[in-house]
Amino acid sequence: MIFVLLGISLIVFYLARGFPSGIDPVTPYIHSKMTAEQIEMVRKIHGFDQPLYIQFFYWIRDILQGDWGITGTWANSRPTNVVFFSHFPYTVELSVAATILTVAIGLPLGIISALKNNKLPDHVSRIIALAGYSVPAYWFGFVLQLVFFYYLSLWGLPHLPSSGASGMEGVVSCITGMPVLDGILAGNLGYTLDALAHLILPAFSLSFISMGFLTRIVRAGMLEVLRQDYITLARSKGLTERVVIYRHALKNALIPAVTLTGMFFALLLGGAMITEYVFAWPGVGQISLRAVFQGDSNFLLVYTLVTAAIIVIANLIVDVLYVFLDPRIKY
Amino acid sequence: MENSEVGTTKSEWAARWADLKYTLYLLRKNPLVMAGIFMTFFFIALMFLANYIVDPKLANPAGYPEFGGNYPFQRSYVWSKGNIINWGPGIHLYEGPEFFLLGTDGWGRDLLKMIVLAIPVDIENAIIITLGAAAFGTLLGALAGYVGGVIDEVVLRITDIFLSIPYLILALVFATMFGRTIETLRFSILLVFWPTYVRLMRGQILSEKEKSYVEALKALGAGHARVLFGHIIPNSIYPVLVQATLDFGSVVLTFSALMFLGFSPSPSLPELGNLASDGYFHIFDAPWLMMFSGLTMLLIALAFNLLGDGLRDVLDPRIRR
Amino acid sequence: MQVKEKEVILEVKDLKVFFHTYRGKVEALNGVELSLYKREVLGLVGESGCGKSVTALTILGLLPENAYVISGTIFFRGEDLLKKSREEMRLLRADEIAAVFQDPMTYLNPVLTMETQLKEVFMLDTNLLRKAVVWQKNHGGKIAFDDLLSGKVKIRDKSTNPKVSKGEINEMAKSLCVDILRLVRMPDPERILRQYAFELSGGMRQRAMIAMALARTPSVFIADEITTAVDVTIQAQILNLMRGLRDKIDASTLLITHDLSVAAENADRIAVMYGGNVVEVAPTVEIFKNHLHPYTSMLMKAIPDVKNPSERLEFIPGTVPEMINPPSGCRFHPRCSIATDKCAVEKPELKRVLKNHEVACYNVAV
Repeated sequence: MIFVLLGISLIVFYLARGFPSGIDPVTPYIHSKMTAEQIEMVRKIHGFDQPLYIQFFYWIRDILQGDWGITGTWANSRPTNVVFFSHFPYTVELSVAATILTVAIGLPLGIISALKNNKLPDHVSRIIALAGYSVPAYWFGFVLQLVFFYYLSLWGLPHLPSSGASGMEGVVSCITGMPVLDGILAGNLGYTLDALAHLILPAFSLSFISMGFLTRIVRAGMLEVLRQDYITLARSKGLTERVVIYRHALKNALIPAVTLTGMFFALLLGGAMITEYVFAWPGVGQISLRAVFQGDSNFLLVYTLVTAAIIVIANLIVDVLYVFLDPRIKY
Repeated sequence: MENSEVGTTKSEWAARWADLKYTLYLLRKNPLVMAGIFMTFFFIALMFLANYIVDPKLANPAGYPEFGGNYPFQRSYVWSKGNIINWGPGIHLYEGPEFFLLGTDGWGRDLLKMIVLAIPVDIENAIIITLGAAAFGTLLGALAGYVGGVIDEVVLRITDIFLSIPYLILALVFATMFGRTIETLRFSILLVFWPTYVRLMRGQILSEKEKSYVEALKALGAGHARVLFGHIIPNSIYPVLVQATLDFGSVVLTFSALMFLGFSPSPSLPELGNLASDGYFHIFDAPWLMMFSGLTMLLIALAFNLLGDGLRDVLDPRIRR
Repeated sequence: MQVKEKEVILEVKDLKVFFHTYRGKVEALNGVELSLYKREVLGLVGESGCGKSVTALTILGLLPENAYVISGTIFFRGEDLLKKSREEMRLLRADEIAAVFQDPMTYLNPVLTMETQLKEVFMLDTNLLRKAVVWQKNHGGKIAFDDLLSGKVKIRDKSTNPKVSKGEINEMAKSLCVDILRLVRMPDPERILRQYAFELSGGMRQRAMIAMALARTPSVFIADEITTAVDVTIQAQILNLMRGLRDKIDASTLLITHDLSVAAENADRIAVMYGGNVVEVAPTVEIFKNHLHPYTSMLMKAIPDVKNPSERLEFIPGTVPEMINPPSGCRFHPRCSIATDKCAVEKPELKRVLKNHEVACYNVAV
């Protein structure tokens, strides 16, 4: 596992710093008014003129010591970890909301689809699932904004805000950094509702896409399980169909679905760049996008490392969960 | 009075042909798949014909000659008057001589024509990327599975690494590194998709390797290369095919997403994501730009996903009794 | 066997069942005729694919979605099962008709404990459990499954039942589980209950399935190839168990098997099936001594004779018929040595030719 993380950082590091044509690591430390000599000096100070492997070593040492470098341009540079962790809660909020929506809608949809196989509910949910993973993320967000923000307001109806995470900045003290939670903790209903209103559209946009995948897997899993012999035996025992499905079938069918949901959540935590961009959601994905365009290698490296670590941890957690779900697996 | 026939031994290819015919029969019975097949054919036909239907010079990065090498900016982001769709107030209506069915983009070009020109760009690139990833991943996976040992371990670890990098980051960083050309874009997306094939093929090879016919072939003196390429790989190809058709939709979506985020080699390139990014800052006063380019993207992805889904359902060994 | 007027508990008449598959219509059952008497063991014998399991599933009402019952009746206690609703069939399965299937590995749920799977059968009848708890409280001592089986304990509590908690019901169910596992001769029942299917051996799994069927005190017991997936020693154990239980249960058993020797040892009567039809029915001794149908005769000849070990085994020429395009008329006629022209045209009906002996053939020599 450590090996994977190391490998990832190696690759991205090499990509980020190894190519003269790409991002110049000096960028956040200089400004346009510096002379070439001064730039060279800055370069020397930070060790950017050293061979790559030495740079890598220094970087690893710095990371482990908590020095994550500086991000941004000269004009507004801040320590990377400050930038990262001030935006991370927003991404977490979005990911949690999207995952809840995905499971809440996708799971029943998949189950119903399997139970009424080849009948109308099945076809409807298959089409929805299909739409889910065929739709371009940027387009769907846009359509939601168009309908629920622009046109609703045009026709004088109450509408949802189209961007940002909260319209009432600074009203409530920032404890967790997540608007909805902060609003609840502060007991401020208006703030919470406003935060929720901002949350709905991007969360739904994200979940619609993952829902497509989840429904498909749940459906396939259920169909597979319902075909098994032990379901025949369960029915022959005279159990009600409900019991057969919920007690006998579901547990078996859900195992792959759980893995998928775990992976999705981990991926979302990495920041759904496109959705955050379209909705101007101040999450980590949006910042990283900006970092790519600005050539901000420090942030990119940190971001990649953290996201990859999240995925690796999620994998582990899912593996552990497996042991609980499937008694056949022993450690 | 025998009931069964002791048939003459058919050649392996005759058996494969019969299998194929059965597949086609099953495909025909499934309406969703048929819809997918039609749509796919439609788009592929468009891909070949696009440059004949619409004059490619209309997308010319050097501008329109009749405007002196510039674009007709006076008619950017306009919607034709008298069009069936009424987007509401605040829309620039065009009262000029030409009728733009889908409005114009930021360069004053006819959006419909641009979309038509964009379809081949997207589809061709997606095909190249998917085939490339599939071929590369399959070969590597086959090698890893067949040879085993250290090579297997190394390939697995590398695959793990690539699978753990969030895909957009990988593609973006790579594209930033190597400049914004179409080739780098293709390669960077390929990097995202190839690990799945490695895993897939490796799994298949591992189980095929143990089967008795491999032992028999080796006993007959067939060399490793022949066994691998002539027999094992063709027998394991179905899941790869299915995965490739399923991936195609994701590839084309990722490709246009990258363009949307701003990685296109040239801002006037007719490409669905590119057109959408053009319209991003005019979501509310020129919504048709994002709407129709995204819609086309949706339809393309839908077509290929339907096809892939149907193919997967049909090739599922349990349904083929 | 006593020649008493025996009562029929289950009667299958002219049952035709088809399956719709991608390759065409499979004519699985072609007019099956069966009678099951009270307290008897009827052996249903035939090769794989002849329709034995389909018959069982039809009786249970558990046919898959692509199956269609074209015609026929199944009378159970005077009612036609084919006309019953799904809920009614479910109640019947919970109460009267129980089945045990082959290969317990695939038939037991891999992620549920044995306790869950066994207890749920008892929990189907919470009323009975409640009354049992009350009885136990009133009379002291413990109620055993044995008592319920044999009816020794008549639970006729017509008085208003005092409150029985869920916990007590659970406890009762659990103790009944332990009892019944002892009954099927499982060692250390408490531990078994905590285990999962894959932790038990093949024989134990099969016993667990039998216990699950027994728990409902059924009147009809369908055993579908229960010895096929286990090795010979376990086979003997299971069959021994079945024989032992037979005295305790007041049930009729439909013993489905492709192994004539199993049928020979355990069945009172044997029905031979071929190609979706029952072709011969007779008491066991009778059918071995005096087999009339050509198929039965060939089956008998294919069994090695202990007394004559060097005798060559005969095989039946041809193969089992393809059910999608079955032969016309009598389905055995392409492989039959005494077939006549009529056999290819019209299917022979099962007719009584001797006392207790029925055959479906035009050309039998009585």
